[in-house]
Amino acid sequence: MSEQVELAIVGAGPGGLSAALVAAQAGVQVLLIDHYRQVGGQYFRQPLSSLPLTTAQRQGAALRQQVLEAGAKIYTDTVVWGIFQDRVLGLYSPKGITYVQAQVIILATGAYDRPIAFPGWTLPGVMTTGAVQTLLKEQRLVPGQRVLLTGTGPLQLVLAAELVRAGAKVVAVLEANRFLGRVFRYTDALWGQWGRLGEASRSWLTLQLQRVPYRMGWGIVSVEGARQVERATIAPLDAQGHPIAGREEKLECDTVALGYGFIPFNTLARLLGVQHVWRPELGGEVPIRDAHLQTTVPQVYAVGDCAGIGGARLAQLEGQVAGYATAIHLGYRPTTDLAALNKALEHERRFQKMYHALFTPPPGVYALSHDDTVICRCEEITQGEIRRAIASGAHTTNEVKLLTRAGMGNCQGRMCAHLIARWVAHETGRSLEQVGGLPPRPPLFPVPVADLGRKV
Amino acid sequence: MSRNLTHLRDETITIIVDGAPIIAHRGETVAGALLATGRRAWRYTRRGQPRGLFCGIGVCFDCLVTVNGVPNVRACLTPVAEGMVIQTQNETSE
Repeated sequence: MSEQVELAIVGAGPGGLSAALVAAQAGVQVLLIDHYRQVGGQYFRQPLSSLPLTTAQRQGAALRQQVLEAGAKIYTDTVVWGIFQDRVLGLYSPKGITYVQAQVIILATGAYDRPIAFPGWTLPGVMTTGAVQTLLKEQRLVPGQRVLLTGTGPLQLVLAAELVRAGAKVVAVLEANRFLGRVFRYTDALWGQWGRLGEASRSWLTLQLQRVPYRMGWGIVSVEGARQVERATIAPLDAQGHPIAGREEKLECDTVALGYGFIPFNTLARLLGVQHVWRPELGGEVPIRDAHLQTTVPQVYAVGDCAGIGGARLAQLEGQVAGYATAIHLGYRPTTDLAALNKALEHERRFQKMYHALFTPPPGVYALSHDDTVICRCEEITQGEIRRAIASGAHTTNEVKLLTRAGMGNCQGRMCAHLIARWVAHETGRSLEQVGGLPPRPPLFPVPVADLGRKV
Repeated sequence: MSRNLTHLRDETITIIVDGAPIIAHRGETVAGALLATGRRAWRYTRRGQPRGLFCGIGVCFDCLVTVNGVPNVRACLTPVAEGMVIQTQNETSE
């Protein structure tokens, strides 16, 4: 028999915690479930030991405390590997497989870094900015001596400054978008964002003092090394983001951090049959939602980055809206000031719109790989194999998977599906929306077959 | 070789990596402990290619190691513990 709850929230980052707090305070019986050992998601990520907390970590810890005091139950180290009929969630934790049936579900599963492929990108030492930031936040650890950051967005600037303060040598920060000339068009969106502007300028100052080169309109071309990263080739980019031939430079480094935006973790919503739309500026496929953030599947809500990249602040506001709406749905009377909440949401969405306009990766950064470059890291399928599959008739991402095994490995295409989709679109002349992604199938994460077969 | 902020780190413990004892800190993940001792590559794929930490948040499954005899454990999500036995994975088939 499966456990019954009124509200199950998947993902205990800023969005999930905020939703849990509003709903639990209104009296809803809430179960908050998270994949990691500690709540907080990426933004509030807590240290694994008794390290002194950063400001964000203190906020996250306080929010967790409030959520517990409001009576919500939290399951950590628990993966939701599928959701089935009547909103039955399949969980997997060190205790094995269990099931929970919920009257309402809020999906708050966040996002992960969107990798780009280039010659050498599988070499140890190439990692996402998320990986570098997680090591810093969780363990106060810098993964290398000479770090190159390449990508787009102010997060790179902030991370570079954190690395410098932690004692690392940052050899350069490469920003793919020449955004400075355009930022002044958005003064209304920037108005009131003093905290963010302050953090960006403090980071900028740190980099200036350490003479860290910040190169706008530049990007990675390739990485070389025998068994790990030894040097990177970088180049200025043209208007489409393609490296300009003949202008390449080499940089000695042992770590390359990739920060080309994020991909919404939308597999649970897609598994549930929620209708999605293609919004490249929001990270790809995002669920259609009403004003209360309910998806096209009744009693299933989606908030935060999993419903379109918008950052931690937007996730918290959306979490509060969905927490409010689900409480009403379940017959409770939350005390949240919805008008004030909607006003804050509107302000934050304006900021995010500017962010997307300035910092969406240009298309050329997805065209750095060669035919002998591995695209599917798990199954080691090269770009050439993918192109041959397309030449022999595959015209969707899923057909490439069936012909080549690309996207069939442990990560289930989370790293490569977007890269394959771009190749299919490029070679067939169809749109990214038409070529689609990989249809999610449970278990969404590897679960021991012995446990799956066990009677519950 | 990785740099770390030693003054901020927790008590040391010993873990065994491929038969050799190494010093780690409580509160580190297996990936963190390996990186902190200068190890970058700890898995070799079927085609013999080195891999290490990539996504760092449990999504990509590149950083797999064998922990206390259990294979394919994500090094980025697994905290170290005193006496933990870690084996790097060589999946090379050709």
